[in-house]
Amino acid sequence: MFDISLFVLMLLGALLALAVYLPLRAGQLSLATPGFYTIGGTVAALLSTTVPELGGNEQTYPLTSVFLELMLAIPLVALLAFLIGKPVLKLKGIYLAIATIALVEILRVVLLSSPWFGAAVGIFAIPQPFEGPEGYAAAFAVLLGITAWGCQRLETEPLGREMAAIRNDELAARCMGVNSERVKLIAFVLSAIIAAAAGVLAAHFFNSWSARQASFDASITTLAFVVLGGSRTWLGPVIGGLVLTALPELLRPIGDLRLIVFGLVILLGPIFIPQGLIQQKRS
Amino acid sequence: MIGSTSLELNGLSVRFGGLQALDQLSFSLQQGEIFGLIGPNGAGKTTLFNVITGLTAATSGEVRWQGKTTAGLRPDQLCNLGIARTFQNLRVFSDLSCIDNLQIAMGCNDRRTALELLAIMDLQEKGTHIAGSLAYGEQRRLELVRALATKPQLLLLDEPAAGMNPVEKQKLQVLLNTIRKQFQLTILIIEHHVPLMMKLCDRLAVLNFGRCIAIGSPQEVQEDPLVIEAYLGRGA
Ligand SMILES: Nc1ncnc2c1ncn2[C@@H]1O[C@H](COP(=O)(O)OP(=O)(O)OP(=O)(O)O)[C@@H](O)[C@H]1O
Ligand SMILES: [Mg+2]
Repeated sequence: MFDISLFVLMLLGALLALAVYLPLRAGQLSLATPGFYTIGGTVAALLSTTVPELGGNEQTYPLTSVFLELMLAIPLVALLAFLIGKPVLKLKGIYLAIATIALVEILRVVLLSSPWFGAAVGIFAIPQPFEGPEGYAAAFAVLLGITAWGCQRLETEPLGREMAAIRNDELAARCMGVNSERVKLIAFVLSAIIAAAAGVLAAHFFNSWSARQASFDASITTLAFVVLGGSRTWLGPVIGGLVLTALPELLRPIGDLRLIVFGLVILLGPIFIPQGLIQQKRS
Repeated sequence: MIGSTSLELNGLSVRFGGLQALDQLSFSLQQGEIFGLIGPNGAGKTTLFNVITGLTAATSGEVRWQGKTTAGLRPDQLCNLGIARTFQNLRVFSDLSCIDNLQIAMGCNDRRTALELLAIMDLQEKGTHIAGSLAYGEQRRLELVRALATKPQLLLLDEPAAGMNPVEKQKLQVLLNTIRKQFQLTILIIEHHVPLMMKLCDRLAVLNFGRCIAIGSPQEVQEDPLVIEAYLGRGA
């Protein structure tokens, strides 16, 4: 039997993988994705549970209200990513990774310690815009479709090429007229927007939302999606996100060993499939 | 416009800790000339390129480009102002195709121009090849044409003939003269191969320990006793 809820999780995994992929395409290993995802979800959870006007008169929560949440969460997160990205993206390689992990950790502690955001228990009874998982599957599929289409377009656009150039040789790229600071910042902000949009939908889907979303586990899990799938083309992270989300559910008996599976993927992936499952065609 | 000043160095110095890499350099390039830079290893030649392209900041003094100081400008801004370069140790985008390499430098999707540029270097058949898979000489030419693709007025070449055989060096000399005319370039070139430089350059400057010890026509420089002692004297 095909489990539609699992399918929704797989689509969510693919979206988050694309969010990790974008900065990586420009050579930047940012692990901030779960942070922006959590902020998106928190905005949705707060608005839909505290603003009665958004509720409407129908049985289900109106889709227009979800859309409003997106319209609020996206600029908010974009602004935040811009402000954070400017200084943080000056860091290179592993230092950027560590700094972004720290940022997610800070966010988690802030959310945990503030009653406003539901503190440790989180925000409950988030209203449902859909009656069953089918509606969520459709909504996530649309969001993933738009995101993947954008990433695909990027591959043949100057911006995407500049990202590839920075990843290949940032110094040479700068000397060839690429404003690497700007390009990296754009990638970081776009990544944050994707994560936040996914968070808005996810908060409704999960029905509750808490600081636990912004965990170190989540950073590593989303990174594993991209390491497995590959980060040369948009299809890699999508496949990685779909497969690695489904895998532990299918291997449910192993329980918490799931994190070990991800760890092994991150450890062994670069050794055995350095470019990931989906590799770019070469001539 | 030929004959007017394009690039000007004013008492330019660069210090790395205790090492004086460039020491009070002052000279200027005339528009349209091929200006050679020679000097022993570690003389500061590449460092000068790095300052001109905004990768290294001057400790004191300044570089002026088209009458304005370049202090504080980023490499990409200087590139957009018409200064392009190649690197001593090849830096093509080795994971990307030759066309991608050029399109990045051009900043647009114009595939036709990219192919036309590749044709100048006899690389038209390699358009979709991954740059890293090309032969060494081809990568050198790709890097040169990638610099041209930024539409420069000043082209900085850091040892373009390194690793080339005599036939290729001969071809390079012809090629540089051709592109200088075709693209109306001023060329600043670093090269250890002195005979090539004597034939190619309108003027030469000789660096030693960061200092300019001679400047002038190839004949003048060749006969300069300081130069013979510092550089040419050592079997070159
Ligand atoms: N970033 C740096 N930090 C510290 N020292 C440096 C740096 N870059 C260059 N140097 C030193 O400055 C001196 C000049 O180096 P530079 O590369 O400019 O020499 P060069 O004339 O290009 O030599 P070559 O002919 O070997 O290429 C060398 O002693 C070098 O070690
Ligand atoms: Mg050098």
